[in-house]
Amino acid sequence: MFKFFSSSNLYLLIQKLIKFINSIFFLVLIVGLTFSLILSPPDYIQGDSVRIMYVHVPSAWIGLACFSFITLLSVLNFIFKIKNFYFINKSIAPIGLLFTCLAIVTGSLWGQPTWGTWWAWDARLTSMLVLMLFYFLYILVFKLIKDENLVVKISSIIAIIGSINLPIIKYSVEWWSTLHQPASIKITGSSAIHSTMLLPLMAMLFVFLLYAALIFLMKYKTEIIRIKKKNIKRL
Amino acid sequence: MITEFISMNGYGLYIWLSFGITFISCATVYYKTKKTLKKYEKEFLVELEALSVEEKDKALKTSKVAQNILATNSEIN
Repeated sequence: MFKFFSSSNLYLLIQKLIKFINSIFFLVLIVGLTFSLILSPPDYIQGDSVRIMYVHVPSAWIGLACFSFITLLSVLNFIFKIKNFYFINKSIAPIGLLFTCLAIVTGSLWGQPTWGTWWAWDARLTSMLVLMLFYFLYILVFKLIKDENLVVKISSIIAIIGSINLPIIKYSVEWWSTLHQPASIKITGSSAIHSTMLLPLMAMLFVFLLYAALIFLMKYKTEIIRIKKKNIKRL
Repeated sequence: MITEFISMNGYGLYIWLSFGITFISCATVYYKTKKTLKKYEKEFLVELEALSVEEKDKALKTSKVAQNILATNSEIN
């Protein structure tokens, strides 16, 4: 069982997964774009500007999910000292940063026609900005510090402190009076979004998840080669 | 009809900018990630080629990664 998870076997599996995602990605992207730009109806209040939701919401979700995952692996790495988690976190962090930045930028582009402003120091917007700063700090540690053990310690501390911000982002729209609307989609309870908009949103979420998986696999593959490169020098 | 689609009832600028920025950012990250991966594969291959015949044989026997990179790069070349 553990032999299966050796870097060599993982490398071959990653290779196959990258090929598979590459083969279906453009088809899925075209379906997602057709639904979000053509087939989905305009909102009765926001009009066509609601289409920004199809890039904004999945970006924000993935940005949050990546940091939650990084925190979980950091805690596990802190306890069990599994080196693989370090490489996984290193590969995930840039994806999380990319999607958090996209959520902020597309949110700003949605805010202008909807609220009449590009930016407000609103609780949701500010907490997302704080998340972006935590991502920057997290990635900076990998870039600036060369000692791997020290990187693990510092990055884990940053992730754990940064995770305090995650429930603040989630509940900011309920705890404070904000410009940002409350969540329309709920895992428990009924969602306040019509199926004609939910379907394109899920299609675009799938596109973004595929893209995130592709980048993660490529980055993780790079990490495996980096380790193997070190080993080849020992021969 | 095309003009209507592009203008999106006056929201075109915001919508196309959102989708455009997302597309360009994702494409840039994809390109840079792929470039780094290729760079490491090439560097690994150069180091593999620099080994003596015995060392190279040993590396190829023990490492599926080395086998794979060698095979992939042979396909490319």
